[in-house]
Amino acid sequence: MTMTMNDPATDPSTIRLVQVMRLINLVALVGLLGVLAGSLFLQFGVGEQPCPLCLVQRSGMIGLAVGPIMNLMWGLRPAHYAISILAALMGSAGSVRQILLHIQPDDPGYGPPVLGLHLYTWALITFVVGIAGISVLLLFPRQFAANDQGILKTPYGLPWWILGVAMGVVIWVVLDSLVIAASVPFECGLGPCPDDPPDIDGAGVVGGGLYLLGLAVVAMVIGFAVVARQRRKVSSES
Amino acid sequence: MFLIFVLWAVTYVGIFLHKKWTIPMAIVSILYTLAMLRFHMTDPIPLSF
Repeated sequence: MTMTMNDPATDPSTIRLVQVMRLINLVALVGLLGVLAGSLFLQFGVGEQPCPLCLVQRSGMIGLAVGPIMNLMWGLRPAHYAISILAALMGSAGSVRQILLHIQPDDPGYGPPVLGLHLYTWALITFVVGIAGISVLLLFPRQFAANDQGILKTPYGLPWWILGVAMGVVIWVVLDSLVIAASVPFECGLGPCPDDPPDIDGAGVVGGGLYLLGLAVVAMVIGFAVVARQRRKVSSES
Repeated sequence: MFLIFVLWAVTYVGIFLHKKWTIPMAIVSILYTLAMLRFHMTDPIPLSF
């Protein structure tokens, strides 16, 4: 009796699983993008500067995004998920610390509440959901059998415009992170940040929205340019 | 605090250049952020344990 074994790298069901995992990673990245963009809107639109613990939580969000970005750029690997879990644990330490500082019933909390919860509480929810979500994704180890090399090198038949949107989202997260980084010296200099930083003059709702829209447009242009360059490279090699 | 985000920026550069040091760099960024968190833990938590 002979048995035929499918090569996991070309098995259609494995490839389908990789595509589903990529989509989930992309959706997670869009969610994190919303959080990072929201924090930028609060800072530049409303004029509320982040406290040191807020910056720790932003660092956790940026670290949480590293896993999905590496999964999309380099291919699905357990180590990429591990980085996101470690970053989420670090960020949740900052969130829990800030929640405990305002735990007493008569304490109004730090900053304005959003949908009834303060931003550090939402941050903790995001980190916990992130850890739980990654744990669920790790229940499907066959995703690692395809030897995925990322969306640019192994697109597995994905249309170029989907690749462009995915790259645009990746670049958008990176740009938001760089803007956050660039804003820190203006608030804190190169040393420690003040515990309760004063508010600044924000650009307003429209100004803040246009600012975020500008970042999105730049990110999408760069994302599509990267995909177009890769397509030209592949077609010239073949 | 600025160095936290410089470290993450270097990590992103590593991702785009596909460098082997990217994952160690991400871990350094996480550990440095934790050190900064500890450094800023100056106010007591208002609870009596």
